[in-house]
Amino acid sequence: MYVYIYDNFLREHKYASIVKAMEISLTDYGIAGKILRLTNYTDAKTIIEDEIRKGVKTVVVVGNDATLGQVLSRTATADCTFGFLPVGDNNTIAEVLGIPVGVEACDVLSKRRKERLDVGWVNNRYFIGQLHVLPANVEVIYDERFKVTTNDKMEVVICNLQPFFWKKNKKDEQTHIVHPQDGKLEAFIRPLTGKRFWGYTYEEPSIFPFEEMEIRGEEPFAVEADGRITKEIKLKIKLAHSKIDMVVGRNRKF
Amino acid sequence: MIFQKPVPTNKPTFEPVSPAARPEPPQRRSADDVETVVGPSVNVEGDFASEGNIIVKGSVAGSVHTSRHLSVEQGAKISANVRAGSAKIAGEVRGNMKVKEMLELTSTARVVGDIEVATLEIEAGALIYGRIIMPGIEGTETRGRNRGTVKKIEETPPTV
Repeated sequence: MYVYIYDNFLREHKYASIVKAMEISLTDYGIAGKILRLTNYTDAKTIIEDEIRKGVKTVVVVGNDATLGQVLSRTATADCTFGFLPVGDNNTIAEVLGIPVGVEACDVLSKRRKERLDVGWVNNRYFIGQLHVLPANVEVIYDERFKVTTNDKMEVVICNLQPFFWKKNKKDEQTHIVHPQDGKLEAFIRPLTGKRFWGYTYEEPSIFPFEEMEIRGEEPFAVEADGRITKEIKLKIKLAHSKIDMVVGRNRKF
Repeated sequence: MIFQKPVPTNKPTFEPVSPAARPEPPQRRSADDVETVVGPSVNVEGDFASEGNIIVKGSVAGSVHTSRHLSVEQGAKISANVRAGSAKIAGEVRGNMKVKEMLELTSTARVVGDIEVATLEIEAGALIYGRIIMPGIEGTETRGRNRGTVKKIEETPPTV
């Protein structure tokens, strides 16, 4: 039994045709199911737990990276299989999972090729795509063995499933891309060097694969995890192995 | 909208890139070709160990250990004992180095400490202050280690 969780942005007129085509395709495969819509006030955990109690075995998230992050970060421990139908822009995780954007994703879902995915764990909650510490004076301690510091502020991006894109500066035409690997989290540290009158300049990132790390700051710093921004003074980040049972595509990157 | 709070300005410099503008994704990576990169103004302190290749462009103090390749770039500074599978040094290393296979010292390399290596390649201009121990000569290897100096190795009578 399938249940589909649609993001609220799919109500927009421009997505009507693709959603319709997907629903037809899912009906053809015989895997159509109940549709629930996420709103700003919907708690994904409550509605999914409710549906599991009613006998749902597969929860399919329909939307983009933000939708997947919003749902899975709250329901990573749920006893069900997750699927993903990417629609529209901002779909970088779909590429990592080997799921094509649009109607073709229904084909991947129908094949039910399942993998257990690792998720990131930060201060008692999960994150799926990325965790982003906005530029701040922080120090990073890896696996309780070594400490990383910079002379000035640094920006930290921790990638679980979402690839990391960066440019050396605004004029840099080449976009550098690093795909995260399975079995580790990857931290990208970008120090800010030399404050000038037009602001800081970023250095090229340092890369550290890790399983456990701590970020400490003397003052509270802003953290964005799967689109949710909080202020923290200490972050403990771990990798939770094989937490999510997920339908993936053949062209996945792990 | 007039009364909306201002959006914080410390936004990241990397912007979401449209799929069309994105470069071709690389092939699937295994745990073997993972690289740890220490950037130019990053300082690492402690027991710095990695399962994959390490590239050092900044400074490291403590100890460095990798079973794979270590690359110390020009301008980088390591004040630590180093153990690596293979290494290429173009920066400064203060500490003993133990390299399993090949060690390459470029013209800008500065090494203060003992080196134990199987194969050594030194470019003209590289500076070394310390002992170099290369296993392979029968009868000298273990004695040299026990006695602790090169002089003692030279004193052993040649076996004819």
